[in-house]
Amino acid sequence: MKFAKFSAVSAMILGLATAASAADYPERPINMVIPYGAGGATDISARTIAEPLGKAVGQSLIMANVTGAGGATGSVAVKNAKPDGYTMLFARVGSHSVNPAMKATLPYTLDDFRFVTVYEINPFACAVEANSDINSMEDLIAKVNEGGVSYSSSGVGSGLHLAGAMVLDEFGVEDPINAATHIPQKGGGEAVTAVLNGTATFLCTNSSALASFVANGQMKPLMVTTAEPVVGFDAPTSKDLGKPALEQLVGWTGIAGPAGISDEVAAKWGEWMAAAAGDEEFVSSMEARGSIINVMSPEDANAFIQEQYQTFKALVDKLGMRVEG
Amino acid sequence: MSFVDSILAGLSLVGNFEAFLALFAGVAIGTIAGAIPGMSATMAVALTLPFTFSMQPIIAILLLLGVYKGGIFGGSIPAILIKTPGTPASSATVLDGYPLAEKGQAGKALGMALWASCTADLISNLALILFAGWLASFALNFGPPEFFTLILFSLTIIAGVSGASLLRGALSAMLGLLLATVGLDLVYGTNRFTFGDPSMMGGLNFIAVLIGLFAIPEVLAMVWDPKPHKGQTRSLGDNKVTFGEYKRCFKSIVRGSFIGVFLGSIPGIGAAPSAFLSYSEARRKSPNRDNFGKGELEGVAASEAGNNGVAGATLIPLLALGVPGDVITAIIIGAFMVHGLQPGPMMFILNVDIIYGLFIGLIVSSVFLLFIGSVAIRGFKYVADIPRGVLFPGVLVLCVYGVFAVNNNIFDVGVMFVMGWVGFLMMRNDIPAAPFLIAFILGPLLEDNFRQAMLMSGSSPAILFRGPITWFFWGLTVLTVIAIIRAGIRATRTLKRRA
Repeated sequence: MKFAKFSAVSAMILGLATAASAADYPERPINMVIPYGAGGATDISARTIAEPLGKAVGQSLIMANVTGAGGATGSVAVKNAKPDGYTMLFARVGSHSVNPAMKATLPYTLDDFRFVTVYEINPFACAVEANSDINSMEDLIAKVNEGGVSYSSSGVGSGLHLAGAMVLDEFGVEDPINAATHIPQKGGGEAVTAVLNGTATFLCTNSSALASFVANGQMKPLMVTTAEPVVGFDAPTSKDLGKPALEQLVGWTGIAGPAGISDEVAAKWGEWMAAAAGDEEFVSSMEARGSIINVMSPEDANAFIQEQYQTFKALVDKLGMRVEG
Repeated sequence: MSFVDSILAGLSLVGNFEAFLALFAGVAIGTIAGAIPGMSATMAVALTLPFTFSMQPIIAILLLLGVYKGGIFGGSIPAILIKTPGTPASSATVLDGYPLAEKGQAGKALGMALWASCTADLISNLALILFAGWLASFALNFGPPEFFTLILFSLTIIAGVSGASLLRGALSAMLGLLLATVGLDLVYGTNRFTFGDPSMMGGLNFIAVLIGLFAIPEVLAMVWDPKPHKGQTRSLGDNKVTFGEYKRCFKSIVRGSFIGVFLGSIPGIGAAPSAFLSYSEARRKSPNRDNFGKGELEGVAASEAGNNGVAGATLIPLLALGVPGDVITAIIIGAFMVHGLQPGPMMFILNVDIIYGLFIGLIVSSVFLLFIGSVAIRGFKYVADIPRGVLFPGVLVLCVYGVFAVNNNIFDVGVMFVMGWVGFLMMRNDIPAAPFLIAFILGPLLEDNFRQAMLMSGSSPAILFRGPITWFFWGLTVLTVIAIIRAGIRATRTLKRRA
């Protein structure tokens, strides 16, 4: 009896304490983990939003790059953090939809995280070297069927890796894994260089990573994976080519916490993100790099990522791209 | 637009107080950041980047370039004074810089590092201005097969830094190669030697290994055999670099600068291999090669020329192709894009004023580096006067902080301590640490490029002999190996004759 009373009281106090802390959130600086290296797409995106976001939050955001293993090291760090909303992660398409779909032994799953927003979308584009005799997706597919075509990526389990295979699959190449050779590189910049110096035939990557090469006439875009044309890319959209399924193929950046973060914390992030994304300077500098700013609510973000994950997972299983071990 | 017009356009862009102030501030920030162990030039540039968003493009980029150049030089200060390379690029500087400091000639070593850095910087900038187009098209000829042969040749450096016993050097290199395989497999994406630990998936952090291998063994040796008061007279001394010494090392500096320019213009190699290659070439050509590794001024000059020679040249692929040469230039490309500039061939047509403004700024930055560097040396010289009993605990704290800060990961600190014990055991058994480090840097490059080449050719080794570049490096490799074997045979003969 006594014990029951005691535990009831303590549960109440504990409950009050949590409620109080949720109301006071955030009362100290928030650690923001960037799971990719300084200067990469995720890093620049994260540091650009940190400014307006910090104002909206009213506390400082401590940005920390925890890099390694294609974003896995930083993601694990956040997965294991206390779910109090003081450790959050900048998640990216590679770390949170492609890699979980592909790698069997990844030390985390999507269920270990709760997304509070997705704020940036980057369409993908496929391109070849400017002097290549490939001028359209049709040419490319014909070449692939002849054999000897290769594509570069920023590594196994990256968005670029999956994009190459998915595009070939959508365009009806049988057994795309063996029809074209995947030549992984150490990073996104290296992947573009590999196409420029002839190591690989083509690549599919974020349009923002290709924009300057297209503008400089060093690369020829073959397709963008959007319904609407992308400024600066003189290439058909996947919708024009009758492959609307490829619109799933977009890069994104979002913010997630450990799975256990409370609804209050998630709701607060929803408010802050709405405020931060209204910042004109943020929007213009992101758009200058070819991103589309589209702030999703926590619910929409989760639904969006789940859908992309399921699409990718189905493709991975179909093509036998799963990495065991 | 004629050349003079271009220069005038550039001058009008940078010929103002703010531009020079930004450049000056950049070099100063970089030098200080580089001098803090664990705070690499890369981090300094990344941290400066957000502050440049609101600046004018040219000023923002000059600031970042200043940080980059200052950072690469600044790394040599702790490398020489406390055997803790501030940036990976200055790990070759440790080899002779620290022994010089032990002899009480830290001032000389630092001075030489500065002069060599500035000379190499200038040569590198001139190479950028004069040969950017030519070097860029040359760099585009470098695919995985060419890379493979270049790295294979670079592995012969190990013989140059092995010291007395080639066998011990090879053992050290094997260990480095072995540890470099930890992490994710490039081609299959599978885990290698991670033992189910997610922290190992990213491989062993380079800076943690570097600091563990060099700095921690000194601390451990100190704990093993405490002699806080006995310490050699380790004052900086008033000895400065004389013009005669500079002249003696000039050949090595120029050679190192060209190695830097050459390796810098090829994307994906970076400053550390260049410094080691320059060092080993200087040793091979030097009349007092036996003194290398024991405190040879020319060794410091060669390493610093090698790593600073890269600084200007990495801008060649950046400006001419829009391709980042290393992590730092990747960040700088980000800065270009934030300001709506698209580096690449078109920039030489559309933004000639910015290109020439950058060129002018770069030349000026070499002068700023000389000035700020000499002030920094004067400021840091007090480190050399600190008694060992105070200095070493301080070094340990700095190492822990620095290694943690690289990746905000406590696992890295553990790696540093484990590597510290490995380094200590190696030191006790006269196994040199430098081959370990070179193998650790070059091993993954060798493997990745080999496997990419095999993917390209469908596993036919013939691709490794495509084109003149591969033949050139195969030739160099064979010649060097023959030279090493001959030197080995000669050494055994002399030993036998003596016996």
